[in-house]
Amino acid sequence: MPKCALLALDISGFRVKLLDKHRMAGSPYDPSRAPVAYGRRAVPQLFSELQQQEAPRRLRALASLADGRLLIILQEKRAEALLTLVPKLMLKLREEEEEEDVQVLLLSTLSSCSCLDPLPALASDGVSLLLHKLSDSSTDIRREATAALMALSVCEDGMRQVCEEEVLPVLVDLLRDKDVEVQANAAGVIMYAAIINEGKRQCLDLDVIPILLSLVSQDGEEEKDKERKKALVMYSLRALTALAEAPQGRCLLLEQLPLLGRRSEAAEEDQDIRRNAQNAVRVITWTPCNTGDP
Amino acid sequence: MYDRRVVRGNTYAQQIIPTVNLYLEELSDVIVASDIECQTDAFLDKPATPLFIPAKSGKDVETQIEEGELFDFDREVQALLEVLVGKTVEQSLEEVMEEEELAGLRAQQRAFRELRNNELEEVLRLKEQERRRSKEKERRVAQQKEVLRKEREVAEKIAARAFTQQYLADLLPAVFTSLRSHGYFYDPVEKAIIDDVARKRQEAFKDTQ
Repeated sequence: MPKCALLALDISGFRVKLLDKHRMAGSPYDPSRAPVAYGRRAVPQLFSELQQQEAPRRLRALASLADGRLLIILQEKRAEALLTLVPKLMLKLREEEEEEDVQVLLLSTLSSCSCLDPLPALASDGVSLLLHKLSDSSTDIRREATAALMALSVCEDGMRQVCEEEVLPVLVDLLRDKDVEVQANAAGVIMYAAIINEGKRQCLDLDVIPILLSLVSQDGEEEKDKERKKALVMYSLRALTALAEAPQGRCLLLEQLPLLGRRSEAAEEDQDIRRNAQNAVRVITWTPCNTGDP
Repeated sequence: MYDRRVVRGNTYAQQIIPTVNLYLEELSDVIVASDIECQTDAFLDKPATPLFIPAKSGKDVETQIEEGELFDFDREVQALLEVLVGKTVEQSLEEVMEEEELAGLRAQQRAFRELRNNELEEVLRLKEQERRRSKEKERRVAQQKEVLRKEREVAEKIAARAFTQQYLADLLPAVFTSLRSHGYFYDPVEKAIIDDVARKRQEAFKDTQ
């Protein structure tokens, strides 16, 4: 079965220009994609394909769904398409009869939809479903589940649900996962959850600061790892910044300023990491007098 | 008709006929018959007609294409190979470029998404911080208002108390003076003696009447 490892595309503000070749969804020349009906019929038709018993047909339909072009269509007919698509995706994921490849694609589609609008997935109890997938043995599934969770935790409701459903302990474990992307996505969810008070409290209870600091430190880092670890370092710095707003976190982090200082100096090549680190230092050392607030 | 079975003439005269044994035949009902059949032969395959080979006539002539006379293989094949190999290479180059472009697109998307998440988190964090601080400000303003209100209340209470005290300070002596002047305060012994004297005088007066 062809592995259609397609990336979920985030469309907001970023137009995708796909090559007009046989990879385009709908062309009869690509045997790994199911043909896509035009306009509004796209989603229902692809979904009826998904209901079929034969796995190859389903895989093709799913590949079309996860493909970028459909997401562009979705953006134009946003609300109705997402509202129908997301619950069905979640139903299929809950059934758990699918093979790993199909599950990965389903999760990746859910991820893209949630980037456009996280509310439908949250309303269908997405957090608890994804929590279940976080402990899967497959790296791909863990990666896509954490990515989807990150998309969901962008709104306040999502942050609250992440805290309520006790997802954070599992995420802290995933910070020590073998795969860099899984680690990065987990750090991403934590950085969003730590924005609200409840999230800060839970993170501090789980003693997550030392773990984040170890991810940020540069010891033993090789050149080739830096590129891949960039997101991980950025998100960890953001999480630390959010936790520094709480008194307990600030106490712990004041002791670790040298480490963060190293990352904020000019010696740090990556500009984004440098900015993040400088920001973190600024928040940690904030006092009421030096804000300039009246 | 001559039928040997039929005796012609006088039968009596037959007796003196010389033996006709030789001419006697056994009479029987069985008719001597013999079977004869006839059948056509099955069709035999017609043997193949011999090829008609006309007698040879005319002159024999032959021709043969030698190597190199029709076309120059090396020259012609070059063009062919160029097209074949060229098209294949071109196709594969295109496919590789396409894959690279897609990979580049995906990498770009991923980088964009990372930056977006980064900045979005900062925005949300600052928004939440702002909300917390403004809530805190509101709470403190309300707290301060409450303090001021309480202070005002205490001040009013003190003022009321002071005024009351002052008002009441004169009240008591005035009351007592008034009561005393109305005779509510008396010395009981004095009163008893005066009452006794008055009573005795009354009785004495009554006795004199």
